[in-house]
Amino acid sequence: MGKLSDGIVALDKTRVLAAVQAGLDAGQDPLALVDEARDGLVVVGEKYDQGEFFLMELMRAAQIFQAAATLLTPVIREKYGEVSTKGKVLIGTVAGDIHDLGKNVVKMLLECQGVEVVDLGVDVPADVFVERMRETRPDVVGMSALLTASIPQMQATIEAIKAAGMGRSAKLIVGGGIAGEVALSEVGADHAATDAIEGIRVISDWIESSRKMGSGDE
Amino acid sequence: MSETMTCYERVDAAWNLREADRVPVAPMVIYIIPYLAGLSFKDMLEDPERLAQAAIDHCDLIGDFVHPVLTMLDHQAILPNATWDQVSIHWRISDHFPPQGNIPSALFNKDMIGDYDDIFDRGFATVLFNKKVGEAVFRRDVEEWLRYGFEYSKSYWRAWHRFVRETGKSLQMGARAAVPFDALISYRTFELVTEDVVERPDRVKEFCERFGKYEIFRAMDRCMIAGAGKVPGAEKIFLGNGMGAPPYVSPGVFNEFVFPYVKTQVDIAVNRGFKVHCHFDGDLTSLLDTLSHLADGLPRGRVMLDFEKTDMRKAKDILGDRICIFGNVPSSMLVYGSVEEVDKYCRRLIEDCAAGGGFILGSECEVPWDSKPENVRAVIDAAKRHGTY
Repeated sequence: MGKLSDGIVALDKTRVLAAVQAGLDAGQDPLALVDEARDGLVVVGEKYDQGEFFLMELMRAAQIFQAAATLLTPVIREKYGEVSTKGKVLIGTVAGDIHDLGKNVVKMLLECQGVEVVDLGVDVPADVFVERMRETRPDVVGMSALLTASIPQMQATIEAIKAAGMGRSAKLIVGGGIAGEVALSEVGADHAATDAIEGIRVISDWIESSRKMGSGDE
Repeated sequence: MSETMTCYERVDAAWNLREADRVPVAPMVIYIIPYLAGLSFKDMLEDPERLAQAAIDHCDLIGDFVHPVLTMLDHQAILPNATWDQVSIHWRISDHFPPQGNIPSALFNKDMIGDYDDIFDRGFATVLFNKKVGEAVFRRDVEEWLRYGFEYSKSYWRAWHRFVRETGKSLQMGARAAVPFDALISYRTFELVTEDVVERPDRVKEFCERFGKYEIFRAMDRCMIAGAGKVPGAEKIFLGNGMGAPPYVSPGVFNEFVFPYVKTQVDIAVNRGFKVHCHFDGDLTSLLDTLSHLADGLPRGRVMLDFEKTDMRKAKDILGDRICIFGNVPSSMLVYGSVEEVDKYCRRLIEDCAAGGGFILGSECEVPWDSKPENVRAVIDAAKRHGTY
């Protein structure tokens, strides 16, 4: 790992920004710098899995990555124009629930990975999920909630998506607090994640598979 | 078996690390009571007699004491002198329960702290009565403020004292207080506190120092209104911590920004004759050694730890000879599990934690309003069936 990824893992914003600036000054490819920073995020995720890092460290790592991206984005645009995103995720907290911390962490980390995230916010009715799916055509739809009472709302949202004929157009994932403790058959999603890092891995794998299929690699 | 102790004696024995006639039990029932009684949120919050009557009518779900969070509803949102709740909880009081209505949810999640200078210069009124909160509590006229500030508390506790007389169950709270770091997350947002602990830790610590004391002194004042010294249980302060623990923050953050200020709050209250019920959400298994010092220097039986996801067996091993522990049947099991699953889980908890006293059987956090009532009753029955000493 280089200084940039080391700085991300150390959660050291000063070191990361210095490494980014030094890399740019030395004429390094800005996209290579982004990739190196993402390598750091992978290690951060592993440390979360191992119980060494917690949600606050995930949040801090994403904040530092975003600060680095603020430096890198103008240079990338100048050199490459608009860079296409890896995929698109529609995300929101289901109706009746306004908890959004986990959703926001997932959103930040997905954006760090180059995924476009359409955030519907909190207390999102099923018909809004359906309507925005139709408009945005996401690869994945993520539904977040903390409360047990939100499980029926997740079910209702998934049923509405399927009733609208879009159940196969995107993968459906639920997460947040209670969601990972409930059997998948209860909610009807493709996956129920117990934490943010698991959700991000599953979404990333789906998007990667989708890209490979789209490009004929598989 | 025949029960030989009153509910209060049973709970008191557990706090004092003594075996009672059986394991005391108290699932954390809150909204399920008014829900089953057909009350609206408005009814529940604005009419203490009807709420207490609902608890009397459904006292088969309550166990040995009415959970502090049910009796703390007078602190939530409708009182001018409420603190943590009115800004940390997004209040959407309605006439219905979900799916037609909503229940209040944490977090409020707007920054009301700014650079910290203003609250350090002018005090917490800048936060507690901040118009950014924008909830109904700030749209009350003077008469309503006076009523809720002075009359309502008295009528509220009159209603709960009636509950004690009619059911024989005990109250276990006179007031609540917030752990300051947890309150800061509510006032400042998790995202900004994440920056603050790295970029301006001294400001965070100063906030915790000041706000922790403010909260605990306010809570002691509220306990006196509830009848502390006259009504058993009203001397207890419910000290809640939601996000100041793993998985939200690391043990390092807990040890530096949470525990020292909790210890100060506990010491202040206990040294003045109050008792502290620490309700700590999250998984504190990795912090049990730290928590074993929570009662250092204090008389036995003044502090209790109420756990959500913490490993109770390890908690018993580490805290068993020092602090009473309380918990922790999973909320999801109460909604989606069966009576048999609940009974099996409770039996294991009793086997792991009950020996020698110092254990109260309960739920991991709130009993969801949509729990199966038979599952809640199964928790209470398990204490009677498996918890005899």
